[in-house]
Amino acid sequence: MKKISPFFSFAFVAVLCLTPFLSCRRRSGSKASEAVAGKDLSPAKSRIKYAHGFTIDYYDRYKEVKILNRAGDKMDTLDYLLLPAGASVPPGHPHAQVINIPVKSLIVMASLHIAQADFAGVADRITGLGTGQYVNSPVVREGLRTGRTRQVGIDANLNNELVIAMHPGVVMTMSNPDAAFGQYRTLMDAGVPVVPNAEWLETTPLGRAEWVKLIGALTDREEWVNRKFDSVAQLYQQLAGTGGGAAVKPSVIIGMPFKGTWYTPAGESYMAQFLRDAGAGYHWSNSKGTGSLPLSFESVAPEALTADFWLNVGYVDSKKDILAKDTRYGSFHAFRTGAVYNNNNRTNDLGSNDYWESGAVNPQLVLADLIRILHPGLLPADSLVYYKQLK
Amino acid sequence: MTKSPFRNVRVAGLLLLLLLAFLLDLSIGTIKIPLKEIFTVFFSPSTADPTWLFIIKGIRLPKACTAVLAGCGLSVGGLQMQTLFRNPLADPSILGITAGANLGVAAVMLAGGSMATFYAIKDLGVSGSWLIIGAGCLGSGVIMLLVLALSRRLRDNVMMLIVGIMLGSITLALVSIWQYFSDPEAVKDYLMWTFGSLGGVAGGQLSILAAVVVIGLIVALLSSKMLDALLLGENYARSMGLSARRARIIIICSTSLLAGSITAFCGPIGFVGIAVPHVARNLFNTASHRILIPACCLIGMILLLLCDVIAQLPGSQTVLPINIITSLVGSPLVITLLLRQKSINAW
Repeated sequence: MKKISPFFSFAFVAVLCLTPFLSCRRRSGSKASEAVAGKDLSPAKSRIKYAHGFTIDYYDRYKEVKILNRAGDKMDTLDYLLLPAGASVPPGHPHAQVINIPVKSLIVMASLHIAQADFAGVADRITGLGTGQYVNSPVVREGLRTGRTRQVGIDANLNNELVIAMHPGVVMTMSNPDAAFGQYRTLMDAGVPVVPNAEWLETTPLGRAEWVKLIGALTDREEWVNRKFDSVAQLYQQLAGTGGGAAVKPSVIIGMPFKGTWYTPAGESYMAQFLRDAGAGYHWSNSKGTGSLPLSFESVAPEALTADFWLNVGYVDSKKDILAKDTRYGSFHAFRTGAVYNNNNRTNDLGSNDYWESGAVNPQLVLADLIRILHPGLLPADSLVYYKQLK
Repeated sequence: MTKSPFRNVRVAGLLLLLLLAFLLDLSIGTIKIPLKEIFTVFFSPSTADPTWLFIIKGIRLPKACTAVLAGCGLSVGGLQMQTLFRNPLADPSILGITAGANLGVAAVMLAGGSMATFYAIKDLGVSGSWLIIGAGCLGSGVIMLLVLALSRRLRDNVMMLIVGIMLGSITLALVSIWQYFSDPEAVKDYLMWTFGSLGGVAGGQLSILAAVVVIGLIVALLSSKMLDALLLGENYARSMGLSARRARIIIICSTSLLAGSITAFCGPIGFVGIAVPHVARNLFNTASHRILIPACCLIGMILLLLCDVIAQLPGSQTVLPINIITSLVGSPLVITLLLRQKSINAW
């Protein structure tokens, strides 16, 4: 069982005892889900506006989080009850996993979970990490150095014994809600709650970023997270208005072919949404699918030869690197004019790219970069954050 | 030599088929380009549409040339192995040489998965696709040297065969360990590589691949007499004054050059090496390697070009990996041939 700090249990029991007295005036006529019990369990409530992959509902003495998985017209749900430690589990949720809140220790599997925790101001609660190979957050790197944060392995290498012994408040995984969840069965049987953080299935940048509210709910930091996220969303919308309204839409290609196949973002992916909001002309903007399209080099070639900009070129750092991959790329218009930009400006000494970490929770910065690249002069001049021009 | 008119007809037929397959591979793809424009691209490039020029000369022509080289090399490598080991199931990968290439590539892509190592390697001045190709060549070269060293101590080709298979499984086990401890993204990249591709070789790489394959083929042709003698058994070969050991070394060298370089450049392409020699023997009804080697070249080129056409999924925007198509198309072909033939009589 999890260790619960004595002070916390005491405080909670005290709240529970006082509850009937303090809440009496609200008792009649109020909806159960709206009822506020004395010191409200969560005075600030998160409303999900952009994300489609999860919901948070607030009830009298608990919160309920649902991770949704839509496959076609079918929908699968993973149910979580977020209860203060010691509270009795509300009836009627036979399949729900119980998470004691506020979560004090997190084990995360992906670097962007670190970014989410950082955003919520709880990066110091990360006690375990899939692999320390790709970390930018100074807090977590310090934790790895001092041993406060341990590496627990990812996927098949996940060290179940270590995780169970660490008694984490929650384990956050990257997996698709419906795929291979079985590998976490051992952990769940041992009473460790496992939550898939499927933000990568979201189709809009704001939807991806909004998953910070999940960590907010788990750590009872809704107020802080909501305020920050609202300002992110507001900035993003303003920028999207500016970029999306640009009169000229320069054409853009994304990525680089590997062995004859060119993976390019599908029209319903968050990357395509970024491009629309940045006022780019993207040939596959109307294609179906939320992931990427596996196209032949040849089918992208007509676009690639003429596109004004070439973005997100992958693991290359200069135009010379691009030619070393394949000399044919030198024929692209954007290559010849020098309009090649990569999103690896914030790559650290470990070779880890912060675009995939903090970029996921700062879509407004990514969008501002894109608008500055595609429409010079539209925004006040400033240096790029995640992007850089390849020389 | 009473069959030679027949043989000439068959060779002429295959040459015609090869020409057609090559043209078909050039003219079919995602982007519809009229046949007339394809000739414009080659005969008056200044008047051709620049996009089409790029697609034909920059994408389709290198791909078709790679198919031709890989088709030749893998088929002849397969023929040599089947003869050396007198085993109808042998193919160029049987000595573990392609597994060696896999190991080299895995070392770069998976260990390179930690970007720190990747940058360290880049500091040496090798980068991009050359790095992967170099690693593949190095991997197959190391295994080849190992095979050769062992072959000096082994008297029997059957023992050699077993040792080759063992080396292959050791190598693949090492790759598996590497995969097991690597990041999903790195494993995915490596997996993409194992699907095989003809589309990633162009420019200087194509010239080098061509040079290595041609050298391998010349060695193979020069060794055709030894191969003929080996078919009759090692003892017979020895009585003919042939040093079985030296023959073995020459044949292994030739196959290693062919299979190792092709795997390093294109990724593993299965099936061609095992199937084409059977088709060649069936079609030409001979055991003479002076005929079988060119025949394997022709059939291998045609097979791989046609597989590449199918891999384009004409009319779609996607390409399928070539390694899938070769097996999917090739296996039924071989089954049909065997059903018609009723017995394998080449050895």
